[in-house]
Amino acid sequence: MTTRLRQPALALGLLLVAAVLSGCTEDSEPRTLRVLASPELVDMEPLLDDLRDDTGIDLDLDYKATPDLSGSLDGYDFAWPATDRSYLLRLGASGKPVARPESTAVMRSPVVVGLTGAAADRLRGGAPGKRLSWADIADAAAAGSLRFGMADPRRSDTGRAALVGVATAAAGTGRALRTQDVSCDRLRGFRSGQTLTGASSRELIDTYVRRQDDADALIAHESELLTLNASRKLRRPLEIVHPEDGMVLSDFPLLLLNTGESRAYREVVDWLHRDETQRELVRRTWRRPATQDVPRPVELREDIGNALSYPDRPEVVRRLMDDYGTPGRSTGDHVVFLLDFSTSMRGPRMAALRAAFADLSGADPSAAGKFARFYRGEKLTVVRFAGRVLDERTVTVRGDKDLEALQSFVAEGEFGDDTAVWSALGHGYTSASGALREHPDRPLSIVLMTDGESNAGLSYGEFTRRHARIGSAARAVPTFPVHFGEADAKALRRAADATGGRMVDANSSSLSQAFKEIRGCR
Amino acid sequence: MSDHPRPPTEEPRLTTRRPARSRPRHPLHVVAAMPLALAGLLALLVSGNALRPFDRIATVDGKMASKSDYFKDPEVRRLLLKHGIRVDIHRLGSRGIATQSLRDMDVVFPSGQPAATLIKKRQQRTPKTARPFVTPLVLGTFRDYARTLVAAGVARPQRAPGGAETLYYDLDMRKFMQLIRDEKTWNGIDFTAHSRRSNAGRVLVRTSSVCESNAAGTYLSILAFVQNGNQAPGTESRNRPVRRITGDPVLDVATEVKPLINLQGMAADEQADSYFSDEGEAIAPVSLIYEHQFLKHQVDHQEKRGEQDSSRVLLYPSPHALTEPELISLDDDGDRLTDLMETDDDLRRRAIELGFRVRFSGEDGTSEQLNAYLREHEVQVPTPNPDQTKVDAPDLDALERIINHVGSCPPPGQEGPR
Repeated sequence: MTTRLRQPALALGLLLVAAVLSGCTEDSEPRTLRVLASPELVDMEPLLDDLRDDTGIDLDLDYKATPDLSGSLDGYDFAWPATDRSYLLRLGASGKPVARPESTAVMRSPVVVGLTGAAADRLRGGAPGKRLSWADIADAAAAGSLRFGMADPRRSDTGRAALVGVATAAAGTGRALRTQDVSCDRLRGFRSGQTLTGASSRELIDTYVRRQDDADALIAHESELLTLNASRKLRRPLEIVHPEDGMVLSDFPLLLLNTGESRAYREVVDWLHRDETQRELVRRTWRRPATQDVPRPVELREDIGNALSYPDRPEVVRRLMDDYGTPGRSTGDHVVFLLDFSTSMRGPRMAALRAAFADLSGADPSAAGKFARFYRGEKLTVVRFAGRVLDERTVTVRGDKDLEALQSFVAEGEFGDDTAVWSALGHGYTSASGALREHPDRPLSIVLMTDGESNAGLSYGEFTRRHARIGSAARAVPTFPVHFGEADAKALRRAADATGGRMVDANSSSLSQAFKEIRGCR
Repeated sequence: MSDHPRPPTEEPRLTTRRPARSRPRHPLHVVAAMPLALAGLLALLVSGNALRPFDRIATVDGKMASKSDYFKDPEVRRLLLKHGIRVDIHRLGSRGIATQSLRDMDVVFPSGQPAATLIKKRQQRTPKTARPFVTPLVLGTFRDYARTLVAAGVARPQRAPGGAETLYYDLDMRKFMQLIRDEKTWNGIDFTAHSRRSNAGRVLVRTSSVCESNAAGTYLSILAFVQNGNQAPGTESRNRPVRRITGDPVLDVATEVKPLINLQGMAADEQADSYFSDEGEAIAPVSLIYEHQFLKHQVDHQEKRGEQDSSRVLLYPSPHALTEPELISLDDDGDRLTDLMETDDDLRRRAIELGFRVRFSGEDGTSEQLNAYLREHEVQVPTPNPDQTKVDAPDLDALERIINHVGSCPPPGQEGPR
């Protein structure tokens, strides 16, 4: 309870005295409050002078905010991140019963893609006005026709928002990501197109300004890209694309950390929500208003599309970040396909297999297909087998030519008698051992597609005994059996379980669908 | 001090200012300051405060949620100041208020009865309380989405006078829940046929956290009531055949409604703020709000623009749930405020102007004065759904268990945000 003497007569007296002594030209003494802020908010500085003039409150912004406001919050009265989602996830995961701090959205900006004019035209494929999606971006990145920059999701909240946005679009469920949605990494093709990164989006943008030839797209807040365009530091402005499959919206909330300053907090929030302030911050920072009926420039009138739901499980976001790894340092995966070329595959089954490889090479127009396709830098080994291994071909994807070579290898293959499933798998692990000796850091998995029961070569038991003797690195390679035709589902599932993989059934959908489903699983 | 009189809603702030010590006196300053002093005097006279020179202004600290809308209102602040009260708002979800420390608070104002009951149970004495108004829980949406739901046979427009476009729709909760359960997306129920936009997102309601907010908890009781065959969970007769999931009828219902809430992922505070913001439609197609927030918005819109906001429309859930905020006093200053809220007609009348349903003595319902006010301000009057089924909230214990199960809420704590 705070009770103060409020005697108007006395107040009047004081006013007179004060007027006599000082001339009464200033408001109450300025107070300084410390704010842990996102580096992006440096553009708020000029407005904060107005805040001080109007309210006597001086916000001292310390631009050190990490995405989840980790580190000590002592000494800070407010926090002002781009979004408080990561902070709330961390708070919730701490298991401690803490109240979430009072939080007020100040302004908004979606995470979008800025494209060079040429890249935008290329992506639209001669269909001007076509709305682009994250799937289109991923497709072009995998195909090697788009190189983009994005801030590091581990260190930057913008990068993290972008990652969650792309991953949500890749899952295509229309809901917030769950653990099962991120168990396979669908962003490998997307990631293969990343050429620039930064600890913050400010750093990313500075790098891009210096190296404009190294990327033809930037993923960042709409406000940052519009600011960059307005700065005239670019040879040509970037075209802002609001992806059709949704975006993550940041709302730059002001958080009250020191509850003792709740009155000042309210004053600051009220000031930030004033019509004049909102108008100014739209004009100066290119962010969208948090309130109603605020006039805006034409660049901010475009429909931003639909906000994607944000996951509420910290382990989902953690998994995304772990899979995404350190931007720019990833190597492409290596996948060994063991394909059954026994005579029973002749006809429609072989047509389905070829269609599946064509789809994975970029023919699949669906969003899931665009995310799952083969990508630049990926190493692919195809082994054709029947009663024995018939032939083998390995390519590292550098361009369409490599994918075409692989497709013709699958298309022109001869068939053989019998089906030696376990010998083929044994051969796969021998290849894996060799590959891992050469490139121990390249993630490797085996896909085993068969349409019949094993009737030649090794028995399952003999295979497992051999498997137990190979090196530990190769033993850790998972096998993903694709059950097709009359294959022995039980045996395939056993092999999947024994190697840490998962069986998928192509009979219930299609070979193409089954291959897509296990892409990115390890 | 500024060079014009302060608005009468604010107290004079100069008492806290210390005269500067080192400035030299100068007669010109006196001359310059005189108009200011006179303006200050004038302001005090106009506001009526000068006539009560020895009154104390008591600052009442209150934790409150969405009903801070009421105490933030400049007119309410002016009326309270006349009585020597100034309310300092500490904003927090209602259930958050009930589970956190109330140290240094004079009042709390949870938005509904479940949280109010929890708080009262924690008090040593029987606190003074006031229940100045009620307001129904509603779903705020946008015209194209409402039309999509009508076409899907899930919502029905209320008749608007003069054949105008209606602001209100009745929503069949049972059918609506089925849409969510069937994993329908907006495009999947033909949204694109009713809009220039497209939305591949799932049909869902964006709520605040069930662990912290009254609105989300109340929405959960609607879901649980409908899920349980229009019966409050925990009240089933023993011989009724129960579906066995956990063997506990309350937890069974909680398990069944959990996915309807959780598909939104992270819950977001301040549903109304984002719903009414310029980017509202992009942020969420359907948001959980209170009726008073919508009506206040429409009255303001009408006053500012001379027309209703016809893009934002309401879905009235059927069965429906009414929320009853309760102002709970924690000490003497809190008592003064609750007494005022119970007795002061001006404060209650202002509540109507803010969109609340207020019960006056000698009146059967709570709606007559509100309806009259809306009519006077040319805002369509919502009509009660012919299906008057009201949600019987589960008893407090059952509701708490449902909330904790659905939200995996942390145990109650007494700590600050650090």
